[in-house]
Amino acid sequence: MTTSTSASPRELPHVPWGRVRQGRRSADRAMKLIATGFTFCAIFVLFWILGMLVVKGIGGLSLATFTQVTPGPGSEGGGLANAIVGSFVLTFLGIAVATPIGVLAGTWLAEYGRKSQLANLIRFINDILLSAPSILIGLFVYVILVEPFRGYSGWAGGVALGIIAIPVIVRTTEDMLNLVPSPLREAGAALGAPPAVVITSVTWRAAKAGMVTGILLALARIAGETAPLIFTALNNNFWFSPSLVGGVSNLPVTIYQFASAPYENWQQLAWAGSLIITMSILVLSIVARRIVAGGK
Amino acid sequence: MLSTLELSPQTLDAEAPIRIAVKNLDFYYGEHKALKNINLDFRDRHVTALIGPSGCGKSTLLRIFNRIYSLYPEQRAEGEVLLDGRNVISKDVDVNELRSRVGMVFQKPTPFPMSIYDNVAFGIRLYEKPPKSELDDRVEGALRRSALWDEVKDKLKSSGMGLSGGQQQRLCIARTIAQKPEVILFDEPTSALDPISTGKIEDLLEQLKSDFTIVIVTHNMQQAARISQYTAFMYLGEVIEFAPTNTIFMNPAKKQTQDYVTGRFG
Amino acid sequence: MTAATDMTSLPAGGMVTRRAPKAGFDRLFRTASFTAALLVLVLLAGIMVSMVVGGWPAFREFGFGFITSTVWDTQNEQYGAWPAIVGTLSTALIALVIGVPLSLGIAVYLTQLAPAWFKKPVSTAIELLAAVPSIIYGMWGLFVFVPLFAQYVQIPVSNVVEGMPILGTVLYSRSPSGLGIFTAGFILAFMIVPFIASITRDMLEQIPSVLRESAYGIGATTWEVVRHVLVPQAGVSIIGAIMLGLGRALGETMAVTFVVGNANRLSASILDPGSTIASRIANEFNEAMGLQLNSLIALGCILFFVTFVVLCIARLLVSRVKRY
Repeated sequence: MTTSTSASPRELPHVPWGRVRQGRRSADRAMKLIATGFTFCAIFVLFWILGMLVVKGIGGLSLATFTQVTPGPGSEGGGLANAIVGSFVLTFLGIAVATPIGVLAGTWLAEYGRKSQLANLIRFINDILLSAPSILIGLFVYVILVEPFRGYSGWAGGVALGIIAIPVIVRTTEDMLNLVPSPLREAGAALGAPPAVVITSVTWRAAKAGMVTGILLALARIAGETAPLIFTALNNNFWFSPSLVGGVSNLPVTIYQFASAPYENWQQLAWAGSLIITMSILVLSIVARRIVAGGK
Repeated sequence: MLSTLELSPQTLDAEAPIRIAVKNLDFYYGEHKALKNINLDFRDRHVTALIGPSGCGKSTLLRIFNRIYSLYPEQRAEGEVLLDGRNVISKDVDVNELRSRVGMVFQKPTPFPMSIYDNVAFGIRLYEKPPKSELDDRVEGALRRSALWDEVKDKLKSSGMGLSGGQQQRLCIARTIAQKPEVILFDEPTSALDPISTGKIEDLLEQLKSDFTIVIVTHNMQQAARISQYTAFMYLGEVIEFAPTNTIFMNPAKKQTQDYVTGRFG
Repeated sequence: MTAATDMTSLPAGGMVTRRAPKAGFDRLFRTASFTAALLVLVLLAGIMVSMVVGGWPAFREFGFGFITSTVWDTQNEQYGAWPAIVGTLSTALIALVIGVPLSLGIAVYLTQLAPAWFKKPVSTAIELLAAVPSIIYGMWGLFVFVPLFAQYVQIPVSNVVEGMPILGTVLYSRSPSGLGIFTAGFILAFMIVPFIASITRDMLEQIPSVLRESAYGIGATTWEVVRHVLVPQAGVSIIGAIMLGLGRALGETMAVTFVVGNANRLSASILDPGSTIASRIANEFNEAMGLQLNSLIALGCILFFVTFVVLCIARLLVSRVKRY
C-alpha cells in the first residue's frame, strides 16, 4: 500500500481534479448514442410498417371489402368477406380447442404438479412448444389430419391454430394462478371444499383477469398465422362450406396469394387485408396488456 | 443501556482540517422534502457516525456525498456539500471522478461478477494505467489492508462471488481503498453480516481512519460508540445534535438524543 | 367443528345432514387437468414422430446424402437438403449479427438511459414488433425494403466489389433484384429483436440496484457499469435470450418466403437469392406429391431437431426468466 501515511494530518493531500480520461467519456457518450439510436431505429421500423399498411391499405377499404367474396383470377372488384369470416371461424376454432386444454394443463402445473419433476418437464416442453416454428405444427397437423382424411379442412386449420395457442395459454394460466396468494386457497380448503372446488370457484375466480389476458394473447398470436394454414385449411375464393370440409378461405393465406399476384385488385385487397389483420392484432395486444397492467 | 456501551478512547483532533462541509443542504424525493437545512462538518481522518431511527434521512444524507442519488432522476439536492472547498452537488463537478474520490461501501456486499483480483483492480484501472507489477502491488496492498489477503492470496483468479458474506464485504472495502479515495462512505456495512464478520469490519474501520475520512451510517448504537469520534444524531430529516461521540452518548445536550441513545425510542 | 357449536346454530333437534363432498367431481377434475398437462408432452412427441415418419421415405431413399446433396430436382426425383440448410443457417446468422446488437442496445436504453415516463411506451412499441404477423414483415420486405435495398445497396456494392478477392464472391450479386439471403436475414433481425430485447431487459432489471449503485459508486461511467458489471452479471441468460431469438429465426417462414428469392441453387454470395428449409416447404408443399412431399417433411424433420436443440439450450440458460 502506498497511501501516504507520512503526510501531515494537518494538511489535505492534494490530488488535482480532471483525472477522467477523455477516452472513457467518449466511449460512454458513444454507447449512449448508439443504444438510443438502436432503440429509435426499431421503433422507426414499427412505424414504417404501420405507415406502409395505412398508406397502401386504406385505399382498398370499402364496404365491398366486407361484403363481397374474394375475386377469381382476372375478375374485377371483389372483397374479403369470406376470408374475414373464415379467419374468424378458424381463429375461434383454434381458441375453442386450446382454451380448455391450456387452462386445465396450466392449472395442473400450478395447483397439482407444482415443483415435481414431471411438472418441470412439462413446463420445459411447453416453453419449447411456445417458440417452436409454426410451420412444423402445420406439417404435423397435415400428417395427422389432412393426409389420412384426404383433404384440407377448416377443422385441421383450427386444430393447427389451437396447437399454437395451447402453450401460450398454459404459460399465462400457470403464471396467473401462481400470483394468487395461498391463504386464499387455504381459506377455501378450511371450509371443507375439496381441491377441485377450491380451484374452480376460488382460485380461478381470483386469477380470472390474467387468464383472460392469456387467451387474448393467444388469439393475437394465432390470428395472423399463415404458414400452418397453408398445409391445413388452405384457402379458396368462395364461401366455404359450413361443414368446414375442403379449403376454408382466410385472411393470411389470401394475403399471401394475392400480394404478389399480377392483378391489381388482388394486390389492393392484399394490402387492405394486411391493414385489417395487423390493426386487429395490435389492438388485441394492447388491450391484453392493459388488462395485465390493471390487474396487478 | 449506557453502561453497556464501551466507548473507545477517542483521539479527537480538534485542529484537523475539514474534509466535507455541508451547508444549508435540502433534499427532495420528488415533492417530499427528506432533508431539511443540514449543516455539518466532517473532519479529515476521523470517523463520523450518522445515527437515528429508520427514515430519519441518515442514508439519504450519505448518498448525497458521492451523488449516487443522481441515478434516480426524481431525487434532487439543494445547497452545498463542499469537498475540499468544491461543491460536489453542482453539475460542474464530474460525477464519476467524484465517486472515485468519495468511495462507498454498501449495506449488502456487492462483489462484481469478475475475479477477486479484477474486483480490486477494477477501480484502479478506470482512473490509472499502472504497470502490471505496480497494479499487483496495489491489489495486494488493498487486500492486506482489508485483512483479506491471507484468505484469498491463493485464489485471486477465482470469482469474488464465491466468498462468504463477510469476506465479500471486505473485498468491497479493498476495492474501495484500492482507488485511494479521500473519503469513504459506509452505509450500514455490517447490517447483513454475522457478529464475527462485523467485528472484523469494525477493526478494519479503526485502521482505515489513519488514512481516510470516514462517514458511517449505522443502526447499531454500540457500533457508533465503539468506532466513531464524532456522531450526528438525526431525526425526521434534521440533525438534532452533532458532537464528539463521547458527548453524544454520555452527556447529550438535547433530550431527544438522550432518549434515543438510551433506547427510549427508535 | 364440535357438536356443541352446531347445536347452538341449528333448530332444536335438527341433525346436520352433510352431503358427502363431491369426490367424483374432484377426481374427474384432477384427471382432466393431468391429462391436459400430459397432452403437452404428447404434442411434442407427436410432432417429432410425425416428422420422422413422414420424412422417412426420403431419408431411406437418399440416406445421409439427403443432408449433404446440393441437388433439388423435381423432374428426376433427386432431393438434397444442403442448400436449404445453408440458407437457413446463414439467414439466421445474419439475423443474429444485426439483431443482437440492436436488442442489447435497446435493453440498455430501456433499463439505463430512458427517462421514466418514456420507458413504458418504448417498451410497448418494441413488444408490438413481436405482434406484427410474419406475413406483414414479408410484405414490408418485398414491397418497401427490397426495391430500396436493390437500388441503394446491392447495385453499388456489387459494382464496388466486382473482381475483388473474397468480397467479390461474398457480396457480389449476379442479378441485383434486392431479394436474397441477406435481405431475409435483415428482415428476420427485426422480427427477433423484440424477443431478445425484452428478455435482456428483464434480466438487467432483475439485477439488484445495490450492485448497480456500487458499480457507479466506484466512479464507473454508464458504459463501464453496463459492460463490466451488469452484462456479466446477467451472464448466460443473455446468451439464452439470443438462442431463443435464433430458434425464432431458424423456423420463421412467411417473411423469409417473400424475400429470400427461393432459388434452389447454392450461391457463395449472401446477396444472391437462396432458400431456407421453411421457405422451401411453404413454396412447394401444395404442389408436392410422393417423394417430393416426403423430402419436404424430411426437411421439416431436420428443422425440428435443429430448433429443438437450440431452444433446449436457450431454455436451460434463460430458466431464470419468467416470461415468454
